Amino acid sequence: MIRSAWVIGVAAAAFALAACGERPQVIQYKQGAYQGKPDQKPYANAPFDGNQQKWDNDLRQRNQAQNEYKRIGS
Amino acid sequence: MLLTRKSESAPAATPRLKRLSGASAPTIDRRTFLKRSGFVAGAGAFATQLPYGAIQPARAQKAAEGAGATEVHRTVCTHCSVGCAIDAHVQNGVWVRQEPVFDSPINLGAHCAKGASIREHGHGEYRLKSPMKLVDGKWQKLSWDQAINEVGDKLLALRKDAGPDSVFWIGSSKHNNEQSYLFRKFVSYFGSNNMDHQARICHSTTVAGVANTWGYGAMTNSYNDMQNTKCALYIGSNAAEAHPVSMLHMLHAKENGAKMIVADPRFTRTAAKADMHCRIRSGTDIPFLFGVLHHIFKNGWEDKQYIHDRVYGMDKVREEVLAKWTPDKVEEACGVPEAQVAKVAEMMAKNRPSTLVWCMGQTQHTIGNAMVRASCILQLALGNIGVSGGGANIFRGHDNVQGATDVGPNPDSLPGYYGIAAGSWKHFAAVWGVDYDWIKGRFASQAMMEKPGMTVSRWIDGVLEKNELIDQDSNLRGIVFWGHAPNSQSRGKEMVEAMKKLDLLVVVDPYPSATAAMAAMVRKDGVYLLPAATQFETSGSCTASNRSIQWRERVISPLFEAQTDHAIMYAFAKKFGYGAEFVKNYKIVKPDGDRKFEEPEMESVLREINRGVWTIGYTGQSPERLKLHMKHMNTFDVKSLRAKGGPCDGDYFGLPWPCYGTPEIKHPGSPNLYMTSRHMMDGGGCFRANFGVERGGETLLAEDGSHPAGGDLTSGYPEFDHVLMKKLGWWDELTEAEKKAAEGKNWKTDLSGGIQRVSMKHGAHPFGNAKARAIVWNFPDGIPQHREPIYSPRPDLIAKYPTHDDKKAFWRLPTLFKTMQEKNKDISKEYPIVLTSGRLVEYEGGGEETRSNPWLAELQQENFVEINPKDANDRGIRDGEYVWVKTPTGAQLKVKALVTERVGAGTSFIPFHFSGWWQGKDMLEYYPEGAHPVVRGEAVNTATTYGYDAVTMMQETKTTLCQVAKA
Amino acid sequence: MARMKFLCDAERCIECNGCVTACKQEHDIPWGVNRRRVVTINDGVPGERSISVACMHCSDAPCMAVCPVDCFYKTEEGVVLHDKDLCIGCGYCFYACPFGAPQFPQTGAFGVRGKMDKCTFCAGGPEANNSEEEFRKYGRNRLAEGKLPACAEMCSTKALLGGDGDVLADIYRQRVTVRGRGGDVWGWATAYGQPGQAPAQAPAKGGKS
Ligand code: SF4
Ligand code: SF4
Ligand code: SF4
Repeated sequence: MIRSAWVIGVAAAAFALAACGERPQVIQYKQGAYQGKPDQKPYANAPFDGNQQKWDNDLRQRNQAQNEYKRIGS
Repeated sequence: MLLTRKSESAPAATPRLKRLSGASAPTIDRRTFLKRSGFVAGAGAFATQLPYGAIQPARAQKAAEGAGATEVHRTVCTHCSVGCAIDAHVQNGVWVRQEPVFDSPINLGAHCAKGASIREHGHGEYRLKSPMKLVDGKWQKLSWDQAINEVGDKLLALRKDAGPDSVFWIGSSKHNNEQSYLFRKFVSYFGSNNMDHQARICHSTTVAGVANTWGYGAMTNSYNDMQNTKCALYIGSNAAEAHPVSMLHMLHAKENGAKMIVADPRFTRTAAKADMHCRIRSGTDIPFLFGVLHHIFKNGWEDKQYIHDRVYGMDKVREEVLAKWTPDKVEEACGVPEAQVAKVAEMMAKNRPSTLVWCMGQTQHTIGNAMVRASCILQLALGNIGVSGGGANIFRGHDNVQGATDVGPNPDSLPGYYGIAAGSWKHFAAVWGVDYDWIKGRFASQAMMEKPGMTVSRWIDGVLEKNELIDQDSNLRGIVFWGHAPNSQSRGKEMVEAMKKLDLLVVVDPYPSATAAMAAMVRKDGVYLLPAATQFETSGSCTASNRSIQWRERVISPLFEAQTDHAIMYAFAKKFGYGAEFVKNYKIVKPDGDRKFEEPEMESVLREINRGVWTIGYTGQSPERLKLHMKHMNTFDVKSLRAKGGPCDGDYFGLPWPCYGTPEIKHPGSPNLYMTSRHMMDGGGCFRANFGVERGGETLLAEDGSHPAGGDLTSGYPEFDHVLMKKLGWWDELTEAEKKAAEGKNWKTDLSGGIQRVSMKHGAHPFGNAKARAIVWNFPDGIPQHREPIYSPRPDLIAKYPTHDDKKAFWRLPTLFKTMQEKNKDISKEYPIVLTSGRLVEYEGGGEETRSNPWLAELQQENFVEINPKDANDRGIRDGEYVWVKTPTGAQLKVKALVTERVGAGTSFIPFHFSGWWQGKDMLEYYPEGAHPVVRGEAVNTATTYGYDAVTMMQETKTTLCQVAKA
Repeated sequence: MARMKFLCDAERCIECNGCVTACKQEHDIPWGVNRRRVVTINDGVPGERSISVACMHCSDAPCMAVCPVDCFYKTEEGVVLHDKDLCIGCGYCFYACPFGAPQFPQTGAFGVRGKMDKCTFCAGGPEANNSEEEFRKYGRNRLAEGKLPACAEMCSTKALLGGDGDVLADIYRQRVTVRGRGGDVWGWATAYGQPGQAPAQAPAKGGKS
């Protein structure tokens, strides 16, 4: 894809998205609207397959690996 | 830390993967691998077809699956003795990821820079890729068969012409336990004790000093146990750079109220984390430690009951310390004022259990053996040994230097510190399944078989010294560097002279380049380089500093044409005609089919170690038990290292040696040595009875009531042998088979293990129950004495604290003390600045391996000298300029000046990990093509001076003198 | 809903560079690019403190505000990412960022010369999660694997924390409570000077500092 086309074709891209009937995949940045490609949610793929709750919980649990107090006890 | 970006030296000029794929061996580089798995093509294709909208998760998923199944191999970092576990992810034989092992009780997933970038070993782009030899000053490839034949013929010729002692074998602390054990056996069968490894120049003084004080030459407690301490004194240890993950435990303890003191000539990164920093003059550990002890005795803070029960000779030490090390003398010698010394004494005494940590800042001195004993004495006086939270926490260096010391190539000892007397040889002849007389026949004579070999610190003198002055027939004519850097030994300038004179130099290493370049600089031929595999390319066990043994799984097969060290040993053993004897008890395997040599299976070697090494309890750690621990790391408690429940219930992690008896007895290992508060079968112990039972009418055995908890014997006792067993009436508890084997034997030589089994059943320690020795009467200075270094900045103190007398045949070589010191008494006029050396966190040891890792190399691109602003200003030196560092050897180093208050005025510091520059000149042209490290620099040891410890031949690298001048 | 943040505990950071090389090896970062680096103040003298710095994933990100081609976006989790196909490598974000986070590779795995590269919180970029394309341009996407940033997960002393801000706050609060000292250890106060005290000097130049 040619870059200039990206820059110029803002409206087109937005339209294309809307036309697909897809939920926007990206948090829209309000100040200067993001012009790039949409991204996937981090829990879109296996093993989460869209289950945000599971992903959130898994990550919270994993976060405790950075907390040696948890493993050691004080 | 300032990251300097230097695009001109960036290795990124040729992309890594391209160079890799040029390799000759049938390995897959990542790019080919990705292509084969259809990863690149697939992903690219769908990305371009898609509209701007969603990329379907399913397709990404498919692409990921195409990459082939991921295998996870659990291994252990090879860059220091902490022993951090790593999960290596491998796809189609390529090491693609590394993940932290949060389950490991040792590191809880944490890594320093070296461990976090360990995956570079899966690229190995700057490794030696095939065997090479030097022909007319140029490196030439040769095949493995050719190499084994040519090198083998030359070694055999030397053996025939000049005797087996004409070759010196430098083994490695980076070998795993099995390989180092095999190395000892391999050189023994060659017929010589001329072998050594890094421990000589790392902690040999510790091992000797500490073992002679209380029994075993090892760290008494563990990194983990430091969580239980109330106060830690680091002296000569910069753990934040040398053992970074140990700081996880210390900082946790500190957060929970522990105090931390650092005594060091530099304000190290460790000092930055401490409550107090004492800037001592380099080489004055004894005045400082005895200064502290002076205040302890003066205030009556010593543990009198403990001393009475468990220590011999403390009263004499007390007298001497009180009389000799008064605060004024202490300050005069080490420079630390009374108030500060008193404060340290108070902190250590009032926050018990307190621990003491030391490293090479203390060991690498001409009086290293005495310094470490002064540390021991301080801890004994405080009653801190054999106590959780206390101990002498001696941090070892290389990942397996403890193990290689325990079972590896030592010139004065067979595996397990058995010594080299006839009885020891007979023990091992039985273990190895060969005839004692056959081994004897391999040596020049029985006398040479029982005479300690030379040391790695002195091999250059073995080559250069006048023949009539050395204590063996021939000078050294062949050197084999098998996993050891040359730039870690002092007197580099003389080393190249020795290299010149050799008939043969063989280097076996994944990164042989520093040795190769030094040799190619002064020679035209007679040098061979053989590519060895790394520890990620084989399996085996390694012993961390805390004596825990961990099993490494093989991650990948040896890259390029590399062979495992034991495969190379076996190939040479066959060439030398003792292949069958060498592998008598082992299963032979071919993990890579015909692509590589056949090799002895590591598990079966460990089983032989289990069967033979009773002295230090390497008998209980069967491969099965170790592997089980690696699998269930999560079940071990972090503070105590003990498994709570699960399949390893009751064991301490890695079965820290001593783990006595056979694996079936299930001794749990000993996390803290000499701990009388625990039962023998709970890892308890006491001090070792190794020095007789009485001296000058005073008992050397422990007093009544002091013994491992719950034991049947409640007073001191000597070590167990068949006679004592019978006296105690325990003999009949042995089975008939055990009785047969144990008759005439002791706890060390009874191959049935019956003596150990029965004594432990009674809660008695097989090695006896004695007192620790505050006076080691068999050493040159029974009570540690301060002696000025050979190159001292203080002529006035040389008169007060002169060094030892010269020695004649010491480890086969004449060794100078007083002559040298006298000659250089006033040299500080010309060379007024103390030169000391040490570690950087990014590199390890000689540094060749880590400087070949671009991820690390980028962080430290040049060698430097730290110099105080005062010294710099006096010399017109500005920060960042090149300077010459000149030493009395006439050598000079071109390094960058780092002007900093980190060092005091009159002291300078150069890290020791660099090589590849020679007195201002880049040696790039001398490296085999493509096998040069990314970062090269001046090696500090090119310029270090003469000086050796009076017991172990440890080299003096921590205190010498230099002058710094603008370049 | 997680709100991703980094937090570096200056009382613990020992400047071991574990975080730096963890990042480099995880994403195959070429020589000369440092998504993360360790900054030391009062180097070599009492009061020496280090902190590990990368992109802070600002809530109101200056880089985002100034980008002329609007290539930045912010995920639901608060991670600031950008589209490399769109980025023109002008370096304006480098101007705007208070931490010098944006990097400009000359060669290497990120292909196109002049394009900006920065810490992604190990969340990849606008390509299919864990696709080769994503790896080539942005590095690994650990978040999509249910893992947290490599630097924080491998930190030698657990000084560097990375993850949901709420969780980090809990972890950090526990430490502060245990050691009985609080705010001053964030490091920033020291770095930028406290009232009535001159800001600390910059680390010494050249070689090891
Ligand atoms: S070098 Fe030592 S501290 Fe660093 S990761 Fe390796 S084992 Fe751990
Ligand atoms: S690049 Fe800089 S400005 Fe942008 S989010 Fe990161 S830290 Fe903030
Ligand atoms: S890994 Fe941790 S301790 Fe080491 S430099 Fe990074 S933040 Fe600091």
